[in-house]
Amino acid sequence: MKRRNFIKNTSLGMAALMVKPGFPFAQDTILGQGNKRYRIDTHWSHADVAKYPVNDCHEMVQDKKGRILLLTNETHNNVLIYNKKGKILDSWGHEYPGAHGLTLFDENGTEVLFICDNKRHQVIKTTIDGRVLMVLDYPKETGQYAKADEYIPTETAITPKGDIYVADGYGKDFIMHYDASGKLINYFGGRGTEEKHLLNAHGVCLDFRNGGEPVLIVTSRQQNAFKRYNLAGEFINTISLPGAWVCRPVIKGDYLYSAVLQTNSRQWQHSGFVTILDKDYKVVSNLAGSEPTYANDKLDEMYQTIKCFSYPHDVCIDDEENLYIAQWNSDKVYPYKLTPVV
Amino acid sequence: MKKAFLPILTFLFFYNCDAQKAFQLAPPMLKYHSVFFKTSETVSMHFAQPGTKIFFTLNGKEPTQNGSYYNKPILIQKTFTTLKAKVFGNGFLPSETVAVTFIKDGLKIKSVQATKPDEKHPGNGPQTLFDNEGGMPNSQSNNFMGYQTDSVIINVSLEKKQKINSVFLDFLRDYGSWVFLPQSIRVYYFDDIKNEFQFLAEKEIAADSSQQSSATVFEILNANKKVLSNKIKIVLKPLSSILAWHPGKGQRGWMFIDEIKIY
Repeated sequence: MKRRNFIKNTSLGMAALMVKPGFPFAQDTILGQGNKRYRIDTHWSHADVAKYPVNDCHEMVQDKKGRILLLTNETHNNVLIYNKKGKILDSWGHEYPGAHGLTLFDENGTEVLFICDNKRHQVIKTTIDGRVLMVLDYPKETGQYAKADEYIPTETAITPKGDIYVADGYGKDFIMHYDASGKLINYFGGRGTEEKHLLNAHGVCLDFRNGGEPVLIVTSRQQNAFKRYNLAGEFINTISLPGAWVCRPVIKGDYLYSAVLQTNSRQWQHSGFVTILDKDYKVVSNLAGSEPTYANDKLDEMYQTIKCFSYPHDVCIDDEENLYIAQWNSDKVYPYKLTPVV
Repeated sequence: MKKAFLPILTFLFFYNCDAQKAFQLAPPMLKYHSVFFKTSETVSMHFAQPGTKIFFTLNGKEPTQNGSYYNKPILIQKTFTTLKAKVFGNGFLPSETVAVTFIKDGLKIKSVQATKPDEKHPGNGPQTLFDNEGGMPNSQSNNFMGYQTDSVIINVSLEKKQKINSVFLDFLRDYGSWVFLPQSIRVYYFDDIKNEFQFLAEKEIAADSSQQSSATVFEILNANKKVLSNKIKIVLKPLSSILAWHPGKGQRGWMFIDEIKIY
C-alpha cells in the first residue's frame, strides 16, 4: 500500500470512529428529563490545585457582577471567586474551618454574605470580600442549648427586611429566627415525632414564587423531604421526596433545585444526583437520577442512575441558567458546570 | 485531498485530549420484602433511565447483554437463589453487578433461646432469628440482634427430630458501625441417647479488610456425619479484638445476627 493510501484509509477509519465512537464520552451525555436537560463539563474549574486547593466544596452563589463564589472548608482559601468560564478571579478567608452554608443577600444595594461554620458553631455575616460584619453565637436564649458544641448551623435564609433564619441542621434541628440586628425573635422545628419536626434540617430558603408573603422551605434530609412553614414558624406541609437525601433548596425563576447528597437505597456509596421541582413542588427532572414518576399523586422512590456525581452538596444557577454543582467528600473535586440543552 | 485529512486528524487529537471519560451507570434498585421466604418471594427491579436495560441471571453467572433482560417482577422459589443484575446502555459504561441471595425456609423451628442482646439492639426478641424477615444491611433495623459480648449462645428447638444436614446463619458486616462477623462459630446437636450435646461443625472467620461496603453475609456449616436431632446449640464468639486497619483497633467488635435456618 502506498503511504498516501494508507493515510487515507486510516483517516477514513478514524472519521468513522468519530461518527460512531468506539467508546462513549461524558460530554455526549445528556442529564435530566423534559425541558430541564443539561450537558456536563467536569473540567469547568481552571484553578491550579497548588494555589487554590479545596476540601469539601459546600455551597456556591452568584453575585451581581456575575461572579461565582464557592465556599470550601479548606482554610487556605475558604472562598474562591470564579468567572463563569471557570477562571479564578480572587480568593479570601482562612478562619472558617467548618465553612458550610453560604447565602448572599442584597442589603440596600450592597451584597453581603452569611457563612454558617459548623466547627466554630457560629453564623458569620461578611462583606462580599470577607470583612466580618456580625457574628451570631449559639442561641442560648432559646434554653435549648447547654453549650456551643450542641449547635451546628448549616444554612441561613434572609428576608427582604433582613431577618435571618438559621437552620441548625447538624445540631438539634431547630430553625432560629433573628431580626436584622441579630436579636433572637423565635425558634421552631427541632426533633420529634410530629410532622412539623425535622431530622437533619440541612437547608432553608425563602419561596417568593406564589406572590404575597414568602414561605420558608426547610430541608429534613434524613426524612427525604422539604417542609414548608410560614415566617412565624407555623408548619404548612411536607413535600415528600422518597429516596432523596436533599441538601438545601435553591429557587431560581419558577424552579426549585436541590443537590441530592445520596440515594436512600445506596447510602454512603457515592449515589448522589440533582433534583429539580416546578412551582407546584412536582419533580420534573433528575440530573443523573431516575426519571420522576407519580402514581396517584405519590412520587415513586428516586435514585441515582448515572455515576457522574459522588456526593453533590449544592446547586448554583447563574444568570444564563447554567448550573454549578459543588460536592462534599468527593476527592476534593472542583465544581462541575452544567449547561442547558435547548 | 491529502490536505483535507490534517484538520480531521487535528480535530480528533484535541477531541480525544479534552474528552471526559464516559460515565458508568449506577446499579439497578431492587425491591423485595425480605431475602428470607417461606414459599416464594417477588423481586422487582427499577432503573428509570431511557436507553438502558437491566440484564440478570439466576444461575450465579455474570449478567451479559446476550442474556435475559428484566421486564417484569421475578418470582423466586428455590431454596438458594442468587439474583445478579447489571444495567447496560449505549453511551455509558455498564453498571457494577448487584447480587442478592434469596433463602427459603428450612426445617420447622419451634423456638429459639438466645443470650440477651445489647439493650440498644434487641431486635424483636429471639423470634427475630426465625421470622423470615431481613437480609438488608441496615444496622438500625429490628431484624438484627446486636451483641458486644465475649460469647453468644443460641439454642434452637425443632418441631420434631429430623436429619440435620447444615446450619445457616446470617450476619451483618458494617465496619463503619464497628459490626464484624463473629471470629468463630461452633455448632452442637443434642444426642438423646447420650443425653448431651455433641459437636457437629465449626468455622473460624478472619475479618477481611478489603470488604468495605456494608452487607449481610451468610455462613453455612455442613454436618460431616449423619445426625438425627431436634435440638441445636450454636456458640458464637464476636470479634474479641478489632484489627489494626480499623479505627477501633484492640477493642471488642459488635456482632449482629438476623436469621438462623436448619436444613
